Amino acid sequence: MTTNWQFAWRNIWRNKRRTILTMCAIGFGASLIVFSVGLQLGQYDLMISGSTRIYQGLVQVQKKGYLDEARMRNSIADAQTLANNIRKTTAINDVAVRANGFALVSSRERTYGVAVIGVETRHEGNVSIIPGLVKEGRYLANDNASEVVIGRSLAKNLKITLGDELTILGSGRDGSIAATIFPVVGIFDSGSRELDRGLVQIPLNSFQQVFSMGNHAHAVVIYHQNAELVDTLKTQLQPLLKAADPDLLALGWDQIQPGIKESIELDYSSGWFMYIVLVAIITFSIMNTFLMSVLERTREFGIMLALGFKPINIGKLVMMEALILTLFALIAGTLIGLAVNYYFLINGLTFEGMEEIAAQYNMPATITPQISIESTLLGPAVILIFTLLAALYPAMKIRKLEPVEAMRHI
Amino acid sequence: MSHRLLQIFSLWLFAGLSCSSQADNAQQLIRQAIDNYRGITSYSEATMTIHRPDWQRVIAMKAWTEGLDKSLVRITAPKKDKDSGSLLLDDNMWSYAPKINRVIKIPSSMSGQSWMGSDFSNNDIARADDIIDNYTHTLLETKNHNGHKLFIIQSVPHEDAPVVWGKEVLQIRDDHVLLEHAFYDQDGILIKKLTTSEIKTISGKTIATTQRMQKADKENEWTEFHSSVIKFNIIIPKNTFTLSNLRNPR
Repeated sequence: MTTNWQFAWRNIWRNKRRTILTMCAIGFGASLIVFSVGLQLGQYDLMISGSTRIYQGLVQVQKKGYLDEARMRNSIADAQTLANNIRKTTAINDVAVRANGFALVSSRERTYGVAVIGVETRHEGNVSIIPGLVKEGRYLANDNASEVVIGRSLAKNLKITLGDELTILGSGRDGSIAATIFPVVGIFDSGSRELDRGLVQIPLNSFQQVFSMGNHAHAVVIYHQNAELVDTLKTQLQPLLKAADPDLLALGWDQIQPGIKESIELDYSSGWFMYIVLVAIITFSIMNTFLMSVLERTREFGIMLALGFKPINIGKLVMMEALILTLFALIAGTLIGLAVNYYFLINGLTFEGMEEIAAQYNMPATITPQISIESTLLGPAVILIFTLLAALYPAMKIRKLEPVEAMRHI
Repeated sequence: MSHRLLQIFSLWLFAGLSCSSQADNAQQLIRQAIDNYRGITSYSEATMTIHRPDWQRVIAMKAWTEGLDKSLVRITAPKKDKDSGSLLLDDNMWSYAPKINRVIKIPSSMSGQSWMGSDFSNNDIARADDIIDNYTHTLLETKNHNGHKLFIIQSVPHEDAPVVWGKEVLQIRDDHVLLEHAFYDQDGILIKKLTTSEIKTISGKTIATTQRMQKADKENEWTEFHSSVIKFNIIIPKNTFTLSNLRNPR
């Protein structure tokens, strides 16, 4: 067996130029795929972290059915105790309680319907970037304060500025009229049109009072920067939620914002289409090389057959050559691709105009490729399979050779 | 406008409509009915029961109306919301909350929102009398109901009408009692239905005194209106339908 490998190794280097060119083609393809898969996955990481970091968190605890229809009565009792238990049990400190309502907010001149959110002022900054994006004034002082922060677009629409009074009129949890007047102490600018135009935040206790909520709230938001922990976290929360209320659910970011997940999946599948085209091109060029090298050696194979080699052994030999060549090329290509990914991981990759867009979301202006087993090995593995399949065709051709005829071949 | 409010307070929607008139023309039917509102005043006391699977809320209120485009609703119970009110003038709606002593104009973009947490939307309450102009009415069928003629009218909003419904089907008796009003979405799926369960004769008029708005897909969710007192053609002070009166309940 070792003799065969030796044999194959020597055969490869009989035509150095062709071998190196073929290796270059495979290696280049591999490094390209490693780089672009890494970049693509890196971009998804950015999308996920962006969507979870701004406001929604990685996991939210909600009452069953609340996600589909946000009814005020469908609330979590004693939500702050639950949040404290979550902090203790999971050792994650980025946990905050929110109560959500819908109300008319009104300045002297205008009225708009918006989401009114009651937040734990001490913890909200850990699960959302909004408190950090207050561009004018300050964020809510404490959970009992009678004050409100609003988005910049809403402030503009309402024609109000810091210190002005905002009238809030909605329905409480018991169906009664919820009404209050709070001064605007802060104006945030998150860059998200939806939030800047349609969201106001007030302290949790004030919310619970105005909207007759008692100690109820609607969501416990948990943030963690590693989006892959979502399932672990959900499982970890299960016993805790069951003990508190069997109707509580832990929802991952992908359930809360299915749009992000869908667009990632769509992009992923269109990305795969491109990779398949790339792999197909590589495969055909390699098939061509292998076929050439087999046809070229018809005479040689004829002699080998005459010497008593079985066609299947010669076929094996050709496959071994292909395997060695591809493996070496793939290792080299993958290493180069990894090196490029690593370079951009350290230095970041930025496009023209990206800074402005990213700045709006308080995200880094650079994409960093993801380096993981998946991003590194998936592409090369597919190339390996396809090149070996490509080598199969010339190898099979050998079976049809007639020794005498083959020996006479030029 | 407050065509719907009048209906909710069980006013005689098709009052004055002569039974012998050409009832085959649905458009005409509705136009005559609405024309007959003009200038009529009313005072009523009613309770609204909002029912949900896990809770129920009863609101008591008084209402004054004048013609089609003026009405004032004032809540009398529960205590927490006493003296809150809504004023409807033409296409505009204002809400008053005594807790903050402010009057807020309900923006037209909020017309789809629920009115006082009930299954009626602001739009249901305050819909303008463009019911004539914005809809195409067809008489589907004429049936018999307890010795009365029952007209079944389908009203389809025009393409450009500011209406969320795909079509509405009304069942109106020849004594002007609205028996049923069904709301369908753009796909023709029933969303909610208003049905009359109690009909009484008060001051010589036959009117529906209990009506229920039922969500089609949720059996346990409905809002029921029951009118206990209704008076017609009363004298209403001139300043009744003003913002300052809304703000200063007496």
